[in-house]
Amino acid sequence: MSNTRTETSNVLVRFLKTKGSIVIFIVFWLCASLFVDNFFSLDNNLLIIKQAAIPVICCLGITVVLMTGGIDLSLGYTIGLSSIVVGIFVKTLHMPIPLSILLTLLVGLLVGIMNGVIIQVLKVPAFITTLGTGYVIYGLAQIVSSGSNINRLPANFRVVGVTPIGGLNTTVLIALCCCVLFYYLLHMSTYGRSLQAFGFNPNAAKMSGIDTPLLNISVYVLCSVCAALAGVLLTIRVNCAQPTMGNDMTFEVITSAILGGASLFGGIGTVIGSVFGVLSLKIIENCINLLNVSYYTYQAIQSIIIMLAIIFENVKNRKL
Amino acid sequence: MQYSEGEKAMVGGKKDYLKFLLGVALVVVVFTILGTQIRGFLSFRNLMNVCRQTSIIAICACGMTMVIIIKGIDLSVPGVISCCAMINGILMLQGWPIPLAMLVALAVGTAMGLFNGAMVEKLEIPAFITTLVMGNIGRGLALIMNKGDSIGGFPSAYVFMGNGTWLGIPVSNYIMVLFVVVTSILMGKTRLGTYIYALGGNDLVVKQQGISTSLVNFFVFGFSGFCAAMAGILLSAQLDTVHPVQGEPYLMDAIAGCVIGGVNMLGGEGKAYLALIGALIIGFLRNILNLLGVHPFYQNIFVGVIIIVIVGISIARKNNVMEKNKAF
Repeated sequence: MSNTRTETSNVLVRFLKTKGSIVIFIVFWLCASLFVDNFFSLDNNLLIIKQAAIPVICCLGITVVLMTGGIDLSLGYTIGLSSIVVGIFVKTLHMPIPLSILLTLLVGLLVGIMNGVIIQVLKVPAFITTLGTGYVIYGLAQIVSSGSNINRLPANFRVVGVTPIGGLNTTVLIALCCCVLFYYLLHMSTYGRSLQAFGFNPNAAKMSGIDTPLLNISVYVLCSVCAALAGVLLTIRVNCAQPTMGNDMTFEVITSAILGGASLFGGIGTVIGSVFGVLSLKIIENCINLLNVSYYTYQAIQSIIIMLAIIFENVKNRKL
Repeated sequence: MQYSEGEKAMVGGKKDYLKFLLGVALVVVVFTILGTQIRGFLSFRNLMNVCRQTSIIAICACGMTMVIIIKGIDLSVPGVISCCAMINGILMLQGWPIPLAMLVALAVGTAMGLFNGAMVEKLEIPAFITTLVMGNIGRGLALIMNKGDSIGGFPSAYVFMGNGTWLGIPVSNYIMVLFVVVTSILMGKTRLGTYIYALGGNDLVVKQQGISTSLVNFFVFGFSGFCAAMAGILLSAQLDTVHPVQGEPYLMDAIAGCVIGGVNMLGGEGKAYLALIGALIIGFLRNILNLLGVHPFYQNIFVGVIIIVIVGISIARKNNVMEKNKAF
């Protein structure tokens, strides 16, 4: 009898360890439904999903980077750069929509290659590289835009992101596609396994024949392309291309990834965890809006959550 | 005999003073030559103005130097600057005496730094992430405290601290020099300073020697928080306002100042007075670019590139040394 009990508790512990973010999400959702007026409605919940779609795309990118033990602090600025670039392509240069989106993703690709090459070839630590390149990208975005925004974008461009599909929109669909793609990449392909190996022990991964330089560059490329895609979708969502668009997003996305169980020390990270990490954070944001509390509180709460998540992860890995 | 980076930094004390004088001479010569080409740069008023503005960067760089020497980095600087200045400003406007308000703000800054130290020491969390989070907390608090608005209109004695001059030199620069001298003495003449260099040079050896790393970590991060708080107070005195995000530009400038001043991102190497030169270079460079009409956007790109290039070079140099040592 006692044996089965320890077994169930073991299963419970393992579930908490691997699927903790789902539990957090359910707890948050239940609390919000019970205590916050107007939260428990279909419209509001669909709204949360719509709001979460864009951060989810970024969060998947940063999860991949975190799995290698790196970090990308330039992510938010890449969003801003791609936003203004796509705005210029579509509105000022009147380029065809697919081409301009493709070129914007190419800009993200270039940013990623820049980050990856500096980190891998020059061996500059990831956080200092991306801090520096972030500053550079931000400057570039400001120069490209000459400090002004581009609004009222063409309708045939906005169709890409805002076409409704049964209460949701195409942005959510795109995010879902990204999730499936990343699920395959991280959990079903050799790429994911080599990523995990690299995150836990880069030297061992190298010695077992994994092309680690390419792998290390590829994660930053993936992350920046995700950021560029998010920038395009965000531009469509707010109907305005701004160079400062994603500045607060870096921190939000890192917070959700950590909340979703990704480890700062590399090797650990799941798609499902990250998705629920974003959703949990968006529930808090939604509640703060519904309760009419100052938005600045959300920023402070984010920081406290990430701190708690890091402390908890540390304690978990040592004690449990 | 092979010295580690940390030992080299301790052994080569005299050479560093020489470097300092050489650095000053070089900066003076280069900027004088450049200055003759630019109208208005060499006027006494402009020079003193730049020195006054640079004092903020230099004070931040004092704390940052220590943190970088122990292989950390303090990304909480902008948050601490904004938060502490906001606390100080609000308290002053509520009628608190100036020294007391400043003391509270400095205590808050130090506490934020100590918390960073605790996270790094006790939980072994990378410095960049805990300080990033702390910086965001500071920014959030600064925004919440006054609902995102800025405050201003401080007592004239307080503004004098930022904008006044004594013997023709801004008061801010006396404070800056005080900070640099205290930091240099702490790191060069005390046992604590030796431990800081040792921890940055080779933390394993330090632990095996039985030296408590917690004291070093707590002190270094606490001191960095203290410096940032002081910089925030001084900045609010100079501008006579506190804006909740006014600390943002100073992070990269402080890091760039340290890196230009030869503080090694790989740890164990660096001097506060060399970081001061780095800060002055950044300050004067920005001024020259402003006078030439170069937009701050371009300047930021320049600062970002400088940091990456210098860190890249120092890492390549270290790898070179390691390759050479391997041959034997």
